[in-house]
Amino acid sequence: MDYFDSIIFGFQVTFQPINFLFCGIGVLVGTLVGVLPGIGPAGAMAILLPATFQFSPTSTLILLAGIYYGVQYGGSTTSILVRIPGEASTVITCIDGHEMARKGRAGPALGIAAWGSFIAGTISNLGLMLVAIPLAHAALKLGPPEYFSLMCMGLIIVTYLAQGSVLKAVMMALMGIILGSIGLDLITGLPRFTFGINELTDGVGIVPLVMGLFGVSEILENLEGSLQRTVFKARIGNLWPSFKDWMDSKWAILRGSVIGFVLGILPGGGAVISPFVAYAVEKKVSKNPEKFGTGAIEGVAAPESANNAAAGASLIPLLSLGIPPNPIMAIFFSALIIHGIQPGPLLIKEHPDLFWGLVASLYLGNGLLLILNLPLIGMWVKVLQIPYKILFPLILLFCLIGAYSMNNVVFDIYVMIFFGIVGYTMRKFGYEGAPLILAFVLGPMLENALRQSLLISQGSFLIFITRPISAIALGFAFLLLLSNISPYFQMRRRQAGSGIIQEEK
Amino acid sequence: MKTLDKTSSLFWLLVSIVVFAESLRLGVGTLQNPGRGFMTLGASGILGILSLVLFLQTALRKETSEAKPFFAGNFPKRIVFVLVALVIYSRVMPALGYLISTFLLMAFLFWILERKRIPLVLASSLAATLVTYFVFSKWLNCQFPEGLLGL
Repeated sequence: MDYFDSIIFGFQVTFQPINFLFCGIGVLVGTLVGVLPGIGPAGAMAILLPATFQFSPTSTLILLAGIYYGVQYGGSTTSILVRIPGEASTVITCIDGHEMARKGRAGPALGIAAWGSFIAGTISNLGLMLVAIPLAHAALKLGPPEYFSLMCMGLIIVTYLAQGSVLKAVMMALMGIILGSIGLDLITGLPRFTFGINELTDGVGIVPLVMGLFGVSEILENLEGSLQRTVFKARIGNLWPSFKDWMDSKWAILRGSVIGFVLGILPGGGAVISPFVAYAVEKKVSKNPEKFGTGAIEGVAAPESANNAAAGASLIPLLSLGIPPNPIMAIFFSALIIHGIQPGPLLIKEHPDLFWGLVASLYLGNGLLLILNLPLIGMWVKVLQIPYKILFPLILLFCLIGAYSMNNVVFDIYVMIFFGIVGYTMRKFGYEGAPLILAFVLGPMLENALRQSLLISQGSFLIFITRPISAIALGFAFLLLLSNISPYFQMRRRQAGSGIIQEEK
Repeated sequence: MKTLDKTSSLFWLLVSIVVFAESLRLGVGTLQNPGRGFMTLGASGILGILSLVLFLQTALRKETSEAKPFFAGNFPKRIVFVLVALVIYSRVMPALGYLISTFLLMAFLFWILERKRIPLVLASSLAATLVTYFVFSKWLNCQFPEGLLGL
């Protein structure tokens, strides 16, 4: 099958009633989650994951993908109208988006955010189609040492891109590896770190872990405060950007799409870091950089395009290499495993319906999101006005149902509560959950690759540096670690961090 | 932040020691044939070293800003109430069943923030319980405990 036949086949899969329905539910839930505080894409996926057991893996993946890129759309609405980012990936949109809203240009800001997201999402889908298959072919030549080094590189990049202390992020990644090792040992089949608790024999479930660290902990943190937020009251007006707005934004959208796509493929990149880079690049190349921060439409177009392009691109390492590049993809990875599908280089060949169905659903979902976010924007503004005192018990209930229904055991609720307290404490102490989740999922694969590599090399660690791809990946990871120790790079990181904070003020 | 960092670094050091000791007990194996505790021994060893680095970094750092309190908001009691409610819910759900236990939990959670309007609290709790029951149990086939009502 060539690309054209394949994508036609993909649309046939996507337009099956159940897949079409799941795509619609996914983007709707995603936008809702993006608009509302408290759950986040990881939590929403984890809640809905148990409900997908009776459906096909293709439908499940279409649903999860819909949530993921729906969140990117929905998050921009709160950033622009409330100046509270719905998600981490829309933090930077607050700066110029809300300024535009204050100047009576909320409509064009929302419009360009939605159109930019749509264009970037479409470009990213094309890239996904073109890159994933050659990469999967190349990945067939990789062995355990290469996989070990690539996963190490991914983990190091995630910790390097941490918003707070890199040292703490590395510590969390190590804790993730330790937590991931709880349960039966993959090679000997004997239990470890179960401390006599039978329910831990199968390990800690990803759903209660994610729910606890992201969902429950955020609710607990919000409960401390007054739970009030002000929604932008003025009329939103015309959502269609003017000709000048389009002219001002066209290169920003294109640059944002390319930056998002490239950073999305890289392990650790995802939709969170790319908007920051796209915004910084746009400011750098602008003839009027002083406009940024005062309501420049490019400051909305670039990050919104970048986060959507990155969301699509981050599927590439998962589908072609079997390596989840960020915590959200780690949930995709778990979903595939639960449905009996081994992510890796053979996935596209053995399950073309899944791959092409997913690709086609991305096109469909992007179109649906445009309808959801432009003509129906008024509905999301109303959702924004629901008081948190009504939302929080419901969010907590969804977390409880999600944790319980994974295995139908109450023990998972205890695990969720435990990690909720852990997550809440981590927030207070300045530790991030993302490296922990990614390492938790990668941990067993990492260990397997390490032990297999040592068996192949008869105990020699040189195997990791005598094979070129492995050596390059480890070398890159080592350089990143070294750059953290270097005082010059430490200073640059601090300057970059304080720059963004100042701009946000 | 200095006190928080010192406390957390000592906590992680303790965790790393426990995991390190357990990894040794599980068996590290050899380089040619790594055992059950091989990977976790390495991970806990590095975690322990990094905890010490964090402790020393924090101890040597000059604190410029004032230390933030652990509870930043005005309502820390709410957190305790919610956590206690969740634990009780987990304990009683198998016996009472999903419908009764969830209704009670929802009523409590809505009541925490909306104490004046009891009829509204009860109506919201009932609606949330029934809607989630029908969506998740009847439509999506999740198996909730039947409990007293046998539903």
